[in-house]
Amino acid sequence: MATAGNRGKITAEEIWAVAPGERRQVGVIHIVLTALLIGIGFVVGAFGSISFPLGFGVNFFWTGIAVQQVGSIWFGIWGVIAGTIFPFFSNAIAGTPFYVSAAYIPANLFQAFLPAFAFRYFKGDIRLNKGRDFVILISAMVISSAVGALWSVLVVLRSFGLLTTNSVPLFLWGWFGGNVVAGLVFNIILLKALSGVVIRSTAFVKRWLA
Amino acid sequence: MNKTLLGYVPERSPIYAIHPFVKLFFLLVASLFPLFISAPEWNFGLIIFVLLLMLYSRIDMRIMRIYVPVAISMASIIFLAYVVLGGFHPEFIEIGRLLGIRVYWERIRDAIVVYFRILPMIVMMVFFLNTSRERDVIVAMRTLRIPFVVTYVFAMALRAAGMVIEDFGIVRQAEQARGFDTHGKSLPYRLRKYVMYMIPLFALSLRRAEEFSNALIARGFAFTGPASKIKRADYVLTHYRFTRLDAVLTALIGLAFSALLVLRYGFGWFTLDRSVFLPRLEDLLLHR
Repeated sequence: MATAGNRGKITAEEIWAVAPGERRQVGVIHIVLTALLIGIGFVVGAFGSISFPLGFGVNFFWTGIAVQQVGSIWFGIWGVIAGTIFPFFSNAIAGTPFYVSAAYIPANLFQAFLPAFAFRYFKGDIRLNKGRDFVILISAMVISSAVGALWSVLVVLRSFGLLTTNSVPLFLWGWFGGNVVAGLVFNIILLKALSGVVIRSTAFVKRWLA
Repeated sequence: MNKTLLGYVPERSPIYAIHPFVKLFFLLVASLFPLFISAPEWNFGLIIFVLLLMLYSRIDMRIMRIYVPVAISMASIIFLAYVVLGGFHPEFIEIGRLLGIRVYWERIRDAIVVYFRILPMIVMMVFFLNTSRERDVIVAMRTLRIPFVVTYVFAMALRAAGMVIEDFGIVRQAEQARGFDTHGKSLPYRLRKYVMYMIPLFALSLRRAEEFSNALIARGFAFTGPASKIKRADYVLTHYRFTRLDAVLTALIGLAFSALLVLRYGFGWFTLDRSVFLPRLEDLLLHR
């Protein structure tokens, strides 16, 4: 029952629950958001790719992970689409060859998808109010970055002949560490600072599409 | 000069006589060439060819200075991956030691092959980005009949990137005006404070998303529902004609790729065995 103390406070379950009679549908704003997220990720990702490069699009500290994962947590499939596409452009600006960037798409798709899925499946609070929410976030970040690193290094870079077997660990840890460390710095602060505003906006995606 | 996301494209250039689709087709197809060429002298020739194209297109070649650090860091990474972390291989020919690390001829050869595969791809991307405006990419996509919503998202993303760069500058100036200064501070401190830029950028983008969507709805744009099924005129395509020259160039690019494949797999061209440069380098390193 709503009281003066908790009126207006939204619980973690309520964040994701579609209220009876509430109609949510895809709108122009979702398309616009996808484009804007690609634009932000383009700039932020290029900053990381140019500033802290290891090589071939792998970075020691990739700031784009914040846009990739926070965008997908807030905006569902639209954030996942943006998170999959923008690294292609930010890598291109940083000098990564066209087809190498294209081959990274599955890795970026998984890195964007998993945090969004984890919060929706476990009904986590995106405002990170409890320890459980942090566990969901960090676990999703670690697992998605690990899978992304394995795909990118073992499948992409080895297939193109860009690495030797002995240099694989360096690039694996570079990709994984570069994403996780940057994610720990930026994801948490962004989610805590802006989630309260995003939840109340019409752009927030409760399910996957709307 | 016309300003774009990357820098400037020449205001007048013979490259503008070519349809944007041909430029995109060249990027997509010609970027594949190095993947099928092992002999580094052929890939070096490809680099020279693209640089000559850039000269012909009146691109300010000083833009290449931006990519010199990229080329150097790429060489360093490949050297690190192939030579320093090359491992122990008694089956390879050891040509010397570098600070206790065994240096093998086969690893140097492979590093050179990889480096000269990557460089042409980078140069081709630079050529494309320096001769294509946002509108050119959109025209190329619409020529390929890519759905309007996909093209629109792409166009807005490019425009949004430019706006984010401007917002970044504004936020930075605002913070400097308030006494925020990272000069002389450590790298971890700067990285932590970088979040102070990201939060305003996200907040500005969220507000902008509402404004853009209201503007689009007010103009009758819709991506779902009956309103989205209205066929819109591709006005921008009326400014570009696909001429006979464009058709010839497209055919030439396709033929060149086919010829490459035939020569490579049918006659063994462009392989390491047919390289002229590598045996001479091997002689030089082994018999110095």
